[in-house]
Amino acid sequence: MKILIADDSRVMRQIVVRTLRQAGFGDHDLIEAADGQQAYDMALSEKPDLIISDWNMPHLTGIEVLRQIRATGNNVKFGFVTSECTPEMKEAAEASGSAFFIVKPFTAERFDEVFAPILG
Amino acid sequence: MSVEVEVDESDLAEMVEQVWESYLDPEGVSPLIPTYDENQASEVHSSVSITGSWSGHVVYASSTAAARRAAAAFLAMELEEVSEEDISDTLGELANIVGGNVKAMLPPGAQLSLPQVVLAPESTARYPNAARISGVYGLWEGEPVSISMWQISSETKEDGA
Repeated sequence: MKILIADDSRVMRQIVVRTLRQAGFGDHDLIEAADGQQAYDMALSEKPDLIISDWNMPHLTGIEVLRQIRATGNNVKFGFVTSECTPEMKEAAEASGSAFFIVKPFTAERFDEVFAPILG
Repeated sequence: MSVEVEVDESDLAEMVEQVWESYLDPEGVSPLIPTYDENQASEVHSSVSITGSWSGHVVYASSTAAARRAAAAFLAMELEEVSEEDISDTLGELANIVGGNVKAMLPPGAQLSLPQVVLAPESTARYPNAARISGVYGLWEGEPVSISMWQISSETKEDGA
């Protein structure tokens, strides 16, 4: 599977990649986007199977990326990894078709719990 | 208008503990030891601003050595491999993580900014009309680290005090 990791923080992208490996998902094809616009562009050009996105990013926020991707008719599995998690954000995410919500700081166990059903 | 903040020192301490458990000290061997010294020195700091239902700043400050150690832990690198960019990015992410967790505890209608990083002591920072309302201050392997919250007064002050 091709997994797109979108986060404006290079450090956090690296932590997400490392945690995916620790949780046993390192064999997947991992690609990265450094802001929301790039995430949107890569979602269309790279056709990932899963997008793991930060919420708060320059150019386009994560929820804007999700909405714009859905507006093109693309139903790629999409979820958030973010330090912010309020009930309104969760509701907005779910209403737009988000599959999961992981809060930073996270552990490899949390990744396993969320991604095992998705990645097998 | 800002509401009374509902995030206290024990909440901040819990968030800090989670950051240590997840990223800075996953083995549980070098926790942040509280000093309760709000005047402890720092050499670098980062912050995020929150506006809306509560307005203020969440500030992470530490010595350069502690920031380097945090970057090494975040990036799974040796201390001597850590660059200034690694330190900046790590500091920004630390402020973002704690700030996001703080925001999640606030009443609806708060916005979180992108992080700002300054490779200079927290004492050089000026937060207009804001006062520090709580903080966690400690030593991590002997190096100072603090995480504090600054609340912006809802009244406009003209004397800048």
